Amino acid sequence: MASRIAFSSMRAAARPRAAAALPRHAVRAMATSSNPPPPEQRASELMEKLPSSPGLLTKGTSAIVATGLAATAISQELYVVNEETIILVASIIFVTYLSKMIREPYKEWAEANIARIRKVLEGARAEHTHAVQHRIDNVAQLKDVVSLTQGLFAISKDTAKTEAETFVQQQKVAVAAEVKSVLDSWVRYEQQLKEAEQLDLTRTVIDRVLVDLKQEKTQRDILMQAVAEVEQLVKNKAV
Amino acid sequence: MSGFNILSPLSQFEVSSLIGVNAPILGYLNITLTNLALYSCFILLIALGLHLYGNNDSNLIPNKWSISLETSFASLSSMVREQIGAQSEIYLPFIYSLFFFILFGNLISNVPYSFAVTASGVVSLGLSVTIFIGVTILALSIHGLKFFSFFIPSGTPLALVPLLVLIELVSYLARAVSLGVRLFANIVAGHTLLKILSTYLYKLFSGSVLIAVITLIPFAIFLALIGLEIAVSLIQAFVFTLLVCSYLRDAVHLH
Repeated sequence: MASRIAFSSMRAAARPRAAAALPRHAVRAMATSSNPPPPEQRASELMEKLPSSPGLLTKGTSAIVATGLAATAISQELYVVNEETIILVASIIFVTYLSKMIREPYKEWAEANIARIRKVLEGARAEHTHAVQHRIDNVAQLKDVVSLTQGLFAISKDTAKTEAETFVQQQKVAVAAEVKSVLDSWVRYEQQLKEAEQLDLTRTVIDRVLVDLKQEKTQRDILMQAVAEVEQLVKNKAV
Repeated sequence: MSGFNILSPLSQFEVSSLIGVNAPILGYLNITLTNLALYSCFILLIALGLHLYGNNDSNLIPNKWSISLETSFASLSSMVREQIGAQSEIYLPFIYSLFFFILFGNLISNVPYSFAVTASGVVSLGLSVTIFIGVTILALSIHGLKFFSFFIPSGTPLALVPLLVLIELVSYLARAVSLGVRLFANIVAGHTLLKILSTYLYKLFSGSVLIAVITLIPFAIFLALIGLEIAVSLIQAFVFTLLVCSYLRDAVHLH
């Protein structure tokens, strides 16, 4: 500590000489870049850090009031300074230091985590929106499905009706064909029967004629009739 | 210097009555609000308040406060799952409440002029004995008489069984005390040390200006001890809950 004070006093003593050797604007630039701010600025910064509203009480007034209240509390033995005060001061220093130390890392960590969670949730929402949109698009392709189904149903009804009529017609044709075949077969049967009867009749007639021809009387009659016819012819030619 | 009134460093742990009613009813019923009860109420209010504030209006995206609570919940949840088992998350609310009760009790005790709830033997030992009894009942309800096999390590020769059962039984019963005493002793030791050191520091600061300036060196060490005490508060809460998880694992799984 003592060495640091001595070093800083030596540095402060050496500063005017070094500054004199440099141009003024360079000194000003150095003061703003590397040296600590002037005491007035630091004091004003400290005053700004005091908790009060500028509209009601000035910062300086609040500092004076706080100091006065503390002095009054101690002098009137409202607050007794003892070993607990040491713990209080040490705790305030430590907690202040700790809070300053961890504020920025905690802030960065928390913001990074919040950003990660937000990213995950927004990603999930985007995916869900995309999935819903995809589903909507898929369903939109089926927007004419009702009218199309109704048309198909009407066509299917017509088809069924036509098929029924076709079936009826086919049945009629089948019945007609059956009737025709039966009738044809009947006609064929009748024809065969008639042919058989005619054949029998012919045979009978031929047989009877042959039998008659074999009889002498018939032969004589035929002969007589033939002679008569020849005579008649001769007679007619003679005329 | 002769005006100093030095109290015992242990006097900070005395349970004193703040408000009391000694009514001549029910055999002179004595209802008293002690500093222990008051600080227990503070713990409850702080725990409730912090969780209500950290609830973040049930928003899905956490804020900077609620993310710390969510992280602690996730840490405790992973601890429960690792220690007791993935199927035993039923114990998470108990472990979570226990952790935050002890943590807030320890942290509040670091505030100057406050009272250390967890430095009270009634609280620490009461908690540990209650947990020990509860865990034993839980183990008996899950495993029945098979629970007593816990006292015989596997592969023990028959001749050594009586001796090992005795040792295991004493070891098991010691859990009831060790769990509470660990917390109680750490907090009492830390606070007593701070009290003693602060008394010395106060005496030194009350001396001449030169001595006061030189005393800044031990004061820096004292600052480090304050930090250590805050760390101990967190570590002891964690150790307590970790051991409770371990005891629950033994009760649920037997070894």
